[in-house]
Amino acid sequence: MNILIYGLITGFLFGFLLQKGRVLRYDKQLGALRLMDMTIVKFMLSSVIVGMVGVYLLQDLGVAKLSVKSLMLGPIIIGGLLFGLGWGLLGYCPGTSMGALGEGRWDALWGILGMIVGGGLFAEAYPWLRSTVYTWGDYGRLTLPEMLGVNHWLIIPVFIVGAILLFRWFERKGL
Amino acid sequence: MNKGDGGWSPYLAGGLSGLVGVMSVWLAGQFFGASTSFVRTAGMIEQWFSPERVGQLEYFIRVVPRIDWQWMFVIGIVLGSLVSAWTSGSFRWQSVPDMWRERFGHTPVKRAIFAFTGGVVAMFGARLADG
Repeated sequence: MNILIYGLITGFLFGFLLQKGRVLRYDKQLGALRLMDMTIVKFMLSSVIVGMVGVYLLQDLGVAKLSVKSLMLGPIIIGGLLFGLGWGLLGYCPGTSMGALGEGRWDALWGILGMIVGGGLFAEAYPWLRSTVYTWGDYGRLTLPEMLGVNHWLIIPVFIVGAILLFRWFERKGL
Repeated sequence: MNKGDGGWSPYLAGGLSGLVGVMSVWLAGQFFGASTSFVRTAGMIEQWFSPERVGQLEYFIRVVPRIDWQWMFVIGIVLGSLVSAWTSGSFRWQSVPDMWRERFGHTPVKRAIFAFTGGVVAMFGARLADG
């Protein structure tokens, strides 16, 4: 029961911050996809930077474990292409569709219903996908530091510097 | 491009959301995610009609259709956004987004069809890529 309350509170805080950052709106999401407004990219990368440092710290302190997903080229490439197509049509991703509804942008509701149907279809297709797409290009659980054979604290600063340079460029271009 | 409508810098709001994510991993051992909850919801709805069938589907054996941490997280997003929008006066009932209106006019039915279709495709892709 406790874990469910944690979920609700965490979601509440995240939804609050998504709304404050103004990243829930269709105009912002399409703005990013049309390369006109990088608000969402700024939000996501800022979140990734803090999360990356924090989670690796927790791991080094032995109080948390990384949750690494498998590098499966087939499902990731095909799934990514489908996700992008659907995202462009809907204008919200799964999490932000819920936040958009909270803001009163109730066109998100159609997307939420569509996503529930899409989830049901995926469950139906799963046995077939497992014997086909999921067998294509499976490299197992990998992280960038492992692949390069270096300590993660070498990769993290490089990533942060890259993100800051990108942010500076966005601000100069007024994106 | 802040329109002065009470929004925060995306760097600040994003950074704080990262902090919330780290706290969640620390205190609850949970990483952020949303898309699995849509599949669980599909399973919960299907269970009302044919529980035996759902019980036999391979995916629903792995991902049991029930309310879990992430499902509550997704509900929390709606509430957090609602409170933030309400208290800052940026809540607005809208059936057609501004950018859509500029391009396609006030066409809520067309918007609904595209949003629904996009949702189906996006969720299938998200689950396939395990995103």
